[in-house]
Amino acid sequence: MARYLRRRLAHSLLTLLGVSVLVFVILRVMPGDPAKMLLPEGAPESAVEELDRQLGLHRPLPVQYLIFVRDVFQGDFGQSFQYKAPALQVVLERVPATVDLTIAAMVLIVAAGGPIGILAAVRPGTRYEYGGMVFAVLGQSLPNFWLGIMLILLFGVALRWLPTSGFEGWRFLILPSVTLAAYPTALVARLTSSSMLDVLGTDYIRTARSKGLANLIVILRHALKNAVIPVLTVVGLQIGALLSGAVVTESVFAWPGVGKLIVDAIFSRDFPVVQTVLTLSAATFVGINFLVDVLYTLIDPRIRYA
Amino acid sequence: MSTASARPPAGILLARLWRISPMLVVGGLILLVVALACAGAPALTSADPIKTRLGDRLTPPLGLGGTSTHLLGTDNLGRDIWARVLYGGRLSLILAAGSVILAAASGVLLGLMSGFAGGGVDDLIMRAADVQLAFPVLMLAIAIIAVVGTSPLAIVGVLALNGWVIYARTLRASVLSIRQLEYVEAARAQGATAPRIVVRHVLPNAMAPLLVLASAQFGTMVLLESGLSFLGLGVQPPQPSWGNMLAEGRDYLSNAWWLGTVPGAAIALIVLGANLLGDGVRKVLDPWRNV
Amino acid sequence: MRKSQPNVRRVSRRRFLARGGLVLGGALGLRIFPTASYGATQRSGRIVAAVSERMLVLDPADHYSISATSVLRHIFDPLIDVTNDHKFTPALAESWEAINNSTWRFTLRKGVTFHDGTPFNADSVLYTLRRVRDNTKLIKAFVYQDLDAIEKDGEYGVTVTTKRPFGSLPAHLTMLGMLPPGAAGREDSFFQRPVGTGPFQFAGWTRGEVVNLAANPHYWKSGIPRVARVSFRFIPELSTRAAGLRSGEFHVIDRVPPDMAQTLKASPGVKVQSLLGLEVQQWLFQLAKAPNDNLQLRKAISLGIDRSAIIKDLLLSTARPAVCPIPPGLIGHVNLGVKPYDPEKAKALLRDAGYQGQPLEFVLMKDLYPKQLEIAQAVESMLRDVGVRFEIRNLEIATARQLRSAGKYDMFFSGWAHLPHDPDWYFGQWFTKAGAVGLSRYYNPKVEQLIAEARLPDPRIRAQRYEELQRILWTEEEPTIWPYYSQAIYGVRDTVRGYEARADYYVLLSDVSVS
Repeated sequence: MARYLRRRLAHSLLTLLGVSVLVFVILRVMPGDPAKMLLPEGAPESAVEELDRQLGLHRPLPVQYLIFVRDVFQGDFGQSFQYKAPALQVVLERVPATVDLTIAAMVLIVAAGGPIGILAAVRPGTRYEYGGMVFAVLGQSLPNFWLGIMLILLFGVALRWLPTSGFEGWRFLILPSVTLAAYPTALVARLTSSSMLDVLGTDYIRTARSKGLANLIVILRHALKNAVIPVLTVVGLQIGALLSGAVVTESVFAWPGVGKLIVDAIFSRDFPVVQTVLTLSAATFVGINFLVDVLYTLIDPRIRYA
Repeated sequence: MSTASARPPAGILLARLWRISPMLVVGGLILLVVALACAGAPALTSADPIKTRLGDRLTPPLGLGGTSTHLLGTDNLGRDIWARVLYGGRLSLILAAGSVILAAASGVLLGLMSGFAGGGVDDLIMRAADVQLAFPVLMLAIAIIAVVGTSPLAIVGVLALNGWVIYARTLRASVLSIRQLEYVEAARAQGATAPRIVVRHVLPNAMAPLLVLASAQFGTMVLLESGLSFLGLGVQPPQPSWGNMLAEGRDYLSNAWWLGTVPGAAIALIVLGANLLGDGVRKVLDPWRNV
Repeated sequence: MRKSQPNVRRVSRRRFLARGGLVLGGALGLRIFPTASYGATQRSGRIVAAVSERMLVLDPADHYSISATSVLRHIFDPLIDVTNDHKFTPALAESWEAINNSTWRFTLRKGVTFHDGTPFNADSVLYTLRRVRDNTKLIKAFVYQDLDAIEKDGEYGVTVTTKRPFGSLPAHLTMLGMLPPGAAGREDSFFQRPVGTGPFQFAGWTRGEVVNLAANPHYWKSGIPRVARVSFRFIPELSTRAAGLRSGEFHVIDRVPPDMAQTLKASPGVKVQSLLGLEVQQWLFQLAKAPNDNLQLRKAISLGIDRSAIIKDLLLSTARPAVCPIPPGLIGHVNLGVKPYDPEKAKALLRDAGYQGQPLEFVLMKDLYPKQLEIAQAVESMLRDVGVRFEIRNLEIATARQLRSAGKYDMFFSGWAHLPHDPDWYFGQWFTKAGAVGLSRYYNPKVEQLIAEARLPDPRIRAQRYEELQRILWTEEEPTIWPYYSQAIYGVRDTVRGYEARADYYVLLSDVSVS
């Protein structure tokens, strides 16, 4: 077990290194010049060159990378090009809003997706199954921005029950988290339901049932435990998607989160901010996956041998 | 002669499928009808999906103040939405299907390699998967599309890149757990090769989750394409796709909701069909249920 | 006292949500910033403006953003203000004059203090101008490279000499807030919590999301500001800005496109204010590339575009067809006649030009100009009717600009808001050899000469030179299509008093109150 975990840890660090190199290279081969994005259109070429020099972009690429790595180990992620402030500070300022939104969405996903899926699976052919199906289809087919704007128009403008945008308290969290959670909730409901169906059809569950165990106990003790593995995989993947894919939701609700920050930073070629966000989010992501793997080995010890 | 002899078996097959899983039949029919409608767009509408008619803009659908000339109303440039949905569907469905196939094929292959080879190959593939997941699609999309342009092929590539990991992981996990099963170990001991184990044991077992994933992903890909359009990286106007129709309708949701809602409904229909089909196929292939 | 500020802000914001908070927020504000005894009116209320462009820095010399200019105008005063009809009026400079073609003299206002109590005088101007000239890291530095000596002329006078004539200097100075000289050497910490002489004091911000301001009780203009606090929120998403205005969370929003303006007009409690903006649309041809290097082809394309249909049907009559590159009201504007729409003549010219039907790339910078994608598609459709094939490329801004620098486009959709209220910058960058080399590749020595002469301080000479060079561009060479001047449209709650819609897209709230 300890050896396995050590190896997983090494892998995680390798992933981080891969991400950082890839980010660095892609940013610099992407078309577009950061200085030109900062300067107004039609600024003279001399001004562009001077600004490139000030930003340190005139150095050869490997040198830039080494400087970046050296600085990161000293806790310095560089100065944001467009915010003119330490990139780490710019990013960290937005982490709380992102974490709040992600947690709220995760709670919704697990609290709604799991039960809906289980209900649909254990009551096949009833309105529960069809209801679950409708939910899964709607959740998976409504685009984020469409859902978000519709929720704003309904609950913010027409009914005035909830604020339309910004983040100044828990009421501001409701509409964005519903919007963000819709898709993964539907996916989790669907996956839970299909893995449950699979497991419920297996011999040992039938045996358990034939032994006269109460249905609920069978579901909880045996079926759910086995159905949870594929669901965990997807939830693990969805956390990554939530962290980086909240862009549209954040834009629609003017949410001061990291998703919007990174898209803006990519579009305006703010290299230090992109590098900081990706390094941090890769670390988070790798960490979460590490935890999911540990969970796997606890739930299904066979995987440990891998 | 040949058609006459082919017909009864097809009918019987359909009837048998219907008995096993009506979902599969309904889902398949939905997808088939939508695909045929899109393919046969010129027969279903005479309107030009690209030609703008500024004087006719934003007419509502029939029954909501519109006329039968424009069944589903017109868009912000006076183009017939029915025509645009049909023609746009061609591109959207091809892009989605292409990217799901590419993602599934490469993901399955890499997952199998990872599971069987183990060691360095496994590490490499799984690290690549981690890097891929930790990396925003958007950045790759910008980089790729900036280099090769917004051709349909580039879009398929970007979408597939976003989708292969889940197959690879599923397959790998499947290989790993199946390899431990006694009867598979026995088969191996008797000299069964990796490809044979894959075909006989791994794929049948992994097929159900794979099909569910692929069917779910089909709808997701249509949506992702709209996300790319939202960011200006998708199908370029005036060529319609459901994605860019949705994206263009965004600013009109409060005064001309049908612009975004019609392609949205088309996407929902596809997602429904794909989900039903996936569940149906899963039931048909379910190794235990058929016992 | 300063320490308690953030707390108070949070309380009042939360209260604001509870919709009872306007009064309480005002009251708290007054307690924190006691009103000056002299002639100040009782201030209450809070105005929330939601603007489309994000504001990222608090340094007036380190951006060229319209929203940052708007917001920072509340914290800092420039030397000179500009009115909505493009007249330059005294702000911190009581008067200014061009002594000769390359020397300016500014006489400063007396009795003005910064928010921290230090007096405003010539040292502030010297520090501000020298900083923006010498610190080439600053975004505005390149404009001020033309400044030579910046000298004190008494406690309240400053003389500036320039390396070449700089007739647009007063216009540029309207965008440059004056800093306290004490900020020298500690700019990083200063701009965390900037101090100016403006009508509002900086109270806090979330970078790129919101800036909160509180009334400056000692402002030198009596009766200003009229509210206790102001918040600017930065919301690029149109639906979100409009929804917040309709729900009553915002008092003012900017950049409302015509269709949304109609929705807003129909919403209770909301009104729409608009006027012709200081902006012209411009669709650049790549002149170094065939077939666009052919004047006949360019003329044919121009004749194939039905500007009035675009204006009437797509822009719902919120634009006016252009009659010259410079928008109305600005120095140099002249009526050179609306460009005609004549598809038959266009077809004939195309034949003469020998155009073979090869596709032309029409590049757009994604989401930059309202309705640009619709307009581009309409243009594509119109040109298809006369036989020109256009391929639209709607690309993220950095990629589009890269294509433009590399000359890899045929027509480029762009617009130009004439900041800072002077055409010198526009022509100097887009129609001189040095500037156009990264844009359209335009070059004409005669035009270059006229642009240089138009830098003289004498307004009559300037107007005459601009007219002459525009005649060449508009009627002879047609290197660019200037289709229309757009309106600036704002949505405003009907509780707001005294809001003036600005042609330059500034959102200025010092003279605005809320009932």
